[in-house]
Amino acid sequence: MSARGAIGWEGQSLLAMLERSEQLLAATGRYQGLEELTLKRSDPIRYEKLFSRLRGGLVSARETALNISASPIVKEIGELCFALYTPEGDSVALSTGIIVHVHTMSDAIKYMIRQRYEENPGIAPGDIFTNNDAMIGDVHNADVQTFVPIFWESELVGWAAGVTHEIDIGAKTPGSVPIGPISRFEDGIDLPARKIGSHDELWRDHVLAGLRGTRTPMYWTLDEKTRLAGAHMIRDAVERVIAQEGVDVYKRFIREVIEDGRRSFQARLREMTVPGRYRAPAFSEVPFAKEAQLPSYARRDTLMHAPLELRITREGMLELDYDGASAWGHHSCNCTPSAMQGAIWVQLTQLLICNDKVNDGAYLALRSNFPPGTWSNHSNPQCSTGIAWSFLIPSFTGFVKSISRALQARGFVEEVLAPYGLTANAFQGGGIDQYGRQSATTNFGLSCVGGGAKMILDGLDYAAAMWNPEGDMGDMEMWEMIEPFLYLSQRVKPNTAGPGRHRGGSGYECLRLAWSTPFYEMQNIGNGYCFIQAGLWGGYPAATGYRHNIRGSDFLDLIQARAPYPQSEPDPGASELAAGIAGRHDFDIEATTLPEVMAHGDLYLSIYRGGAGLGDPLERPYESVMADIAGGFLLERYADSIYGVVPGDPQATERRRGELREHRRAKAVPVREWMKSERERILELDMIEPVQRMYAESMRLSERFARELRAFWELPEEFEFPVATPEVELSKAMLAGNAAEGTREASP
Amino acid sequence: MPAEPAIADGVRREPRVLAIDAGGTMTDTFIVDRDGSFVVGKAQSTPADEAVGFMASATDALAQWQLDPAQAFPRLVAGIYSGTAMLNRLLERKGRRIGLIVTGGMEDMLRLERGIQTYLGYPYSDRLHVATHHHNEPLVPRERVYGVRERIDLFGTPAVPLYEEEARSALQALVAAGVEGVVVCFLFSYRNPVHEQRVRELAREHHPELAIFLSSELYPMRRDLPRLNSTLIEAYAAEPSREQLQRVRAATREAGAGFDLRIMAAHGGSISIDARELGRTLISGPIGGVVGALHLAESLYADRAERNIVCSDIGGTSFDVSLITDGELTIRQTPDIARFVLNLPLVQVDSIGAGTGSFVRINPSSGRPELGPDSAGAAIGVCWPDGGLETPTITDLNLVLGRINPDYFLGGEIRLDAERARAAVAEQIARPLGMVVEEAAAGIIELFDETLRYEAVAQVLGKGYSPVDYTLLCYGGGGPLHVAGYTEGVGYREVLVPAWAAGFSAFGCACGDFAYRGDLTVDMPILPAADAQAKAGVGAFISAGWRTLRERLAAELAKSGFAEDAITYRHFARMQYLGQLNDLEIASAHGELVDGEQVDELIASFEQAYAKLYARSSRSPELGYLVTNVIVTAAVPVEKPALPAESRQASGVAATPKATRPVWWRGGWSETAIFEQSQLCAGSAISGPAIIESPADTFALAPGRRAQLDERRIWHLEEL
Repeated sequence: MSARGAIGWEGQSLLAMLERSEQLLAATGRYQGLEELTLKRSDPIRYEKLFSRLRGGLVSARETALNISASPIVKEIGELCFALYTPEGDSVALSTGIIVHVHTMSDAIKYMIRQRYEENPGIAPGDIFTNNDAMIGDVHNADVQTFVPIFWESELVGWAAGVTHEIDIGAKTPGSVPIGPISRFEDGIDLPARKIGSHDELWRDHVLAGLRGTRTPMYWTLDEKTRLAGAHMIRDAVERVIAQEGVDVYKRFIREVIEDGRRSFQARLREMTVPGRYRAPAFSEVPFAKEAQLPSYARRDTLMHAPLELRITREGMLELDYDGASAWGHHSCNCTPSAMQGAIWVQLTQLLICNDKVNDGAYLALRSNFPPGTWSNHSNPQCSTGIAWSFLIPSFTGFVKSISRALQARGFVEEVLAPYGLTANAFQGGGIDQYGRQSATTNFGLSCVGGGAKMILDGLDYAAAMWNPEGDMGDMEMWEMIEPFLYLSQRVKPNTAGPGRHRGGSGYECLRLAWSTPFYEMQNIGNGYCFIQAGLWGGYPAATGYRHNIRGSDFLDLIQARAPYPQSEPDPGASELAAGIAGRHDFDIEATTLPEVMAHGDLYLSIYRGGAGLGDPLERPYESVMADIAGGFLLERYADSIYGVVPGDPQATERRRGELREHRRAKAVPVREWMKSERERILELDMIEPVQRMYAESMRLSERFARELRAFWELPEEFEFPVATPEVELSKAMLAGNAAEGTREASP
Repeated sequence: MPAEPAIADGVRREPRVLAIDAGGTMTDTFIVDRDGSFVVGKAQSTPADEAVGFMASATDALAQWQLDPAQAFPRLVAGIYSGTAMLNRLLERKGRRIGLIVTGGMEDMLRLERGIQTYLGYPYSDRLHVATHHHNEPLVPRERVYGVRERIDLFGTPAVPLYEEEARSALQALVAAGVEGVVVCFLFSYRNPVHEQRVRELAREHHPELAIFLSSELYPMRRDLPRLNSTLIEAYAAEPSREQLQRVRAATREAGAGFDLRIMAAHGGSISIDARELGRTLISGPIGGVVGALHLAESLYADRAERNIVCSDIGGTSFDVSLITDGELTIRQTPDIARFVLNLPLVQVDSIGAGTGSFVRINPSSGRPELGPDSAGAAIGVCWPDGGLETPTITDLNLVLGRINPDYFLGGEIRLDAERARAAVAEQIARPLGMVVEEAAAGIIELFDETLRYEAVAQVLGKGYSPVDYTLLCYGGGGPLHVAGYTEGVGYREVLVPAWAAGFSAFGCACGDFAYRGDLTVDMPILPAADAQAKAGVGAFISAGWRTLRERLAAELAKSGFAEDAITYRHFARMQYLGQLNDLEIASAHGELVDGEQVDELIASFEQAYAKLYARSSRSPELGYLVTNVIVTAAVPVEKPALPAESRQASGVAATPKATRPVWWRGGWSETAIFEQSQLCAGSAISGPAIIESPADTFALAPGRRAQLDERRIWHLEEL
C-alpha cells in the first residue's frame, strides 16, 4: 500500500473491496450480500429522489458535454455515453447514448483495481484515466473511455466515466471500424488503462500524443475534452448529492440500487419469458483469400460459427453460452468478452428493459460463457479487434431470435422480432478531401438498416441499428461537408428485406461519386457470401450484399452529353450501372475488402441491409406483396418464386400457391432420410475448406461440441475434419501457458 | 388582473389588444383594455370557417364588458392570432395535393425520412424500445415525387447540369396528376439556387398558373431533409391556413377593425398573414408564455442590464421550460415538430412529459414509482368519474392531500370525486410502496416537484449560468400548484407567479412584437491565418447577406404598409469553430461590417458566448471560424397589452381568508387558510401554509414560503 493509505471504505484497499464484493455475490447470489433493501423500504421516495438526481446529473452532463465535440458521429449521431460506478466498478446509473459501453467501462475499472493501480500509478482526487483496450474492457479501439475517480474526504466513493466513438483511430486503414489490421499492433491508438492527467488536467504528453495518433486530430482532441468535461460534471453532481444526503446514505444507496436492479431484472425476465434452452447459430465471413497484399497466414477465407445457446432459468437467470464457437483469426473481426457483454446490454435495453433505471444489477442476473480461444473471446494479446462488431452483430442475431421465442411462448407477441439486419455496408475510408486536407470518415448511414419482421407487422424499414435503436442517416448535405463524395442517389433497395408472412424491414442504397479528391481509400464491409441468420418460423433471411464500385468511369462524359446516367441499382441481376457506365467494374459478392483507392469521377455503391422475415411467405397476403412491388421493396420477378403471387391476379395466385405447396410436399423427405444423405456428405467432406475449418475449430476448441456433433450426425468416434487449425493450437498453447503462470484473467 | 364585477362596463372600457387562440376544439379570445384588465371569451372552434368560431368567441368575451364587436373592434389597435389549425392539418394529413421535385436519385427522401423521424417525440423508454418505432405517412406520396438529374456541390458549383427535359416532363406529369402546387428541393440549393430557379422558369413557360415553392427561396439553410420538410409544409399546410386567416381578417374588418391581423410565429415575433413564409407560424401557442415573459421582463426590469428568466409552464401533459438570457429568447435552428425535422427557427422550449395529468404507477417488477410519461389528457384523473380513468394522476394526488378543492375545479364547473381518487391512490400507490396514503401521495408529489426542479436547473447550468442569475416565472394551469415545490432551495434571484398564471400564454401571444426573421446559410470560413484584409472580405460577404435579408424583410413589412424608416433591424450571425458542428447565434452591433476590426468584434462575442456555454478549456480559436448563417430581424412598433397597475395601500397587508380546510403538508394534516385570488389587493402578503384559489388555478403555499402581491398582480414567492 502506498504512503497515502488505502482509499477504499473503512481503510480497505480497492482490491479488498472488489474481492469482498465478488465473494458476497458468489456466496449469496445477491449484490454485496444485501438481503434487505432497507433504504428503499423505509423511505421509497427518498430512494427514488436519489436515483433521479444521480441520473439527472448523468443526462445533463451528456447533453452539455455533447456540444463540445465536433465529430459528426458524436455530435450528430450521439455516440457518447456517461455512467456512474461504485468504487468497485459496478454501474449505478447511466445516461442516454451508446449503452453498449456501460459494462465495458466497468471491466476497465475492475482491471485497474486488480492491477493495483491504487499503489502504482496511484489513484488520487483530480486524476484522469483512459482506456480503449478491448481485452481490458472495450469493444474496439475506436471507443475511447475517460475515467475520473470521485472522492469524499479521503475515501473513493465512485467513478465517473464517459466514452465516445472516434471517427478515426489511427489504425492501419482509415476509419473507426478499420478492416485492414490483422494484429493488435495495427489497431491504432492504444491506451490500455492509462493514467493521463492529474489535478483535473490532462497531461500535455498525452494530449500531444493523441494529436499525432489519428487522421482526424481535431475530432480526437475535442472528443477527449467532451468526455472529461462530462465526467467532471458527474463528479460535481455526486458531490452535491453527498453534501445533501450524507455519505453513508450515498454508500448504502449505490449498493441497494444495484441489488434492486438485479431483482427487478429477474422479475421482468420471469414475467416476460418462458424458461428453457433456446438455440440459434449464426454465421459470418471474412473473405480475404483475394487480398494479395496480406501475408499468407491471413490471406484466406474464413467463416465464423456462433452457436448461441440461451438458457433462461426458473429463477430468472439469463445464461448465454457460446461454447462451440469457431476460432479467432488474423483479421480485425475478433471479439472479447467485454464487447460481447456490451452487446447483451444494448439488446436487453431494446427488448426487455427499455427504461432509464437500468444498471449493473441486470448484469448480475446474467451468466455468460465466452470460451477462450474462440471468436467471442480471442484471449490473444496480439489479436486485432478493430471491427469486433463484425462478429458481434451477426452472433447476436441468435440472441434476439431466442429472446423472441421466449417472449412468444409467454404470449408477448407484439414484442417479438425476427433477426435484425446486419449494419453494413460501412462507407468508410480516408485520403485527401475536397478541401485538400488529409481526412477520414465513417458514414453513419449504416445506423439505418432494416429491422427484423414482427409477429404482427412487417419489420421497421431503414431506421435502426442493433447497437443503436435511434438510427439517423444524417443529412446528405452534412456528410458532403466531410466526405469528398457526392450523393447521386439514396433510394430504397428492392429485395433487401427477408421475405415472410411479415417481411423484414427493408434496406436502402446510396450511389456516391468521388468528387474533388485526388485519392481516397475506400473499403467495403459486409456479408456477400453467407446470410447471417435465418428468419423466424419459416421467415427467410435478409439478402446478403455485394460490391459494385466503378473506377475510371465515364460518368463525367455522360453528364457532359446530358445522357440519362443510371442512378442506382434496383436489380443487380439486370444492372443499370453495368449497362450504363463504362469503366473498371468491381461487381461481385466480395462485400468485404481492404481499401481500394478511388478518385474524382469514380463511383461507389453502398448497400444497407434489410432484416429477416417471419412466417411462411406463402401466407403473406396478396395485397401486401403487390404493395411491396409497387413500393419498390420487391422485384416483380420474385413475386412468384418467393411468394407464389401472380401479379394482377388473386385467383391465379391462390392456384399458384397451391402448386407450390404441392411442390414442397413432393420435394419433402423424412428428416431421417435427409440426415442420412447429409451424413454422407459430411463423411465425404463434400464442403468447401472454410466450412471444414470452421467446424474443425469448433470441435477442437470444445470437446462438448465435438461430442454433440458426432452424436447428432452419428459420426464415428474418431471423426475429424482433416484441416489445419493453427489458431486453435496457438490458443491452446497460450492458454496452457497462462494457466501455468497463473495469470489467467479473472472473469465473473 | 381580475375579471371585475360588470358595472356598466361598456362605457368606460377601452379595449386595445385582442389575442385569439384557436385550438382544435375551443377558440379562446383574450381582450385587454387600456388598464391591463382583460376578459376571456370561449366558443367552439369551426375548422371549416374559422371566422365563425372567432367571432362567436370574441362576442362572448366582449359581452362580459357589455360590448359587442361593432362597438369594440374599431377601438382595437392590435389583433394577434395563434392556433393549431395548421398543425392539425399536418397531423391529420389534410393538406393540399402537392407534387415534389427533388435531385434525381433522392425520390425516396420522404420515405427514408433519415430514419430519425421514426422515433421523434417519443419518451426515452420508447426511444430505446425499437419495436415501437414506425415511419410516418409522407406528405407527398411516392408517385408524386419526381427526380430530376442535377447536382450542385457544397461549394455551390454545378457538378451535374440540370437535365431540363426531365424537369419539363416532371412538371407535365404533376400538372396531369392535378397538383395544387409543386415544391422543388435540390441538394445544396441554398448555396446556389440556379437549378431550382430554372425549374420555376420552365414552369412559368409551360404552366403559368402552377404555384411553385423553392426551398432555396423559402428556407435557404443547410440540411436537406429539414429544408425539404419546411418548404413542403409551407405548400401543404400553410397555404390553406392563409385562406382561413384571410376570412378571419375579413370578419374583423367587417366589424370595423382597423388593425392588421398578425400571427404568432415560431421565432417569437408576430407576422402578417400575408407573410411569404407562413409555415413559420406552425407552432405559436406554446411559445406565447415565453413571449409574454419577455414583455414582462422589459416592463419589470427596465432598469436592469441583464434580463434572465426561466419560463416554466405546467399544463396537463407536460412541463415546459424556456430560457430568456440577457433579454434574448433562445432559438433552436433545426427543431422537430410533429415528427418532422425542420429548418425553422423556433423559440427553444424543452418539454418533459410531467404535467398535472401525468399518470403515476408503481412498476410491478421493480416496485419503484414511475411518473408518466403518458398522461390523462382532458380526462383529468380518477377523480373525474366521467373520464373513465383507472390510473391515478398527479391531480388525484393533489386532491388526496386537500391541495385542490374538489368543488372549485375550473370554478366549480367540474365536480371531482375525492374519495374515488383516494381509493385509487391507496390501492395502486400507497399499498405497493408500503406507505400510508397521504405520505405516499405527498412523497410522489415531492418526487414530481424534484423532477421539475432538476429540469429547470439543468437548463440554467447548461447555459453556463447559475440559478441566482435568473428569475423564475411560473405559469400554466398547474404551475402555481407546484411552484413552491420546484423552486424550493434553488436560490433563484426571484420567483414570480402572475395572478393570471392560467391565462398567461394567451396574454403572451398578445405581447408579440411585429417582427420578421430572415435566415440565410452562407458558410463563410474565417481561417486562422486571416489578416485584417481577409477579415474585411468576410465582413463584406456577411454584410451582403444581411442586405439581402433586409430587403426581403422590408418587402414583407411593406405589405402591411410600413415604410423602411419605421423598421428597426437587428443583425445576427451564427458561428462555430471551423470543423465543429454546433453554431451559436451572436448579435452584432453593426448592420454592416466595414473592416476587419468589426469582424474581430463579432469573433470576440462568439468566443465569449462559447466559453460561457461550454467548458472554457474547449475553446479552440486555433481552428478558425465558420459563419454558418446570417440572420436579420425586422421589427416595427406595435402596442402591447398594458400590465395591470393597481394602487398599493401598503406592503405586507394581512389578507382575510375565505375559508379554512385541512391540507396535508410535509409531515401531516394542518388546518389551512384558503384565499380567493380576486379578493386580494396589491400589497397582500400571505405566509404558508395557505392556498390561494381562483376559478382557473390553485396557488399552493407550503409552510416556510411567503408570497406578496405587487401592483401588477404578480406574486413574489419567497422562502422564509
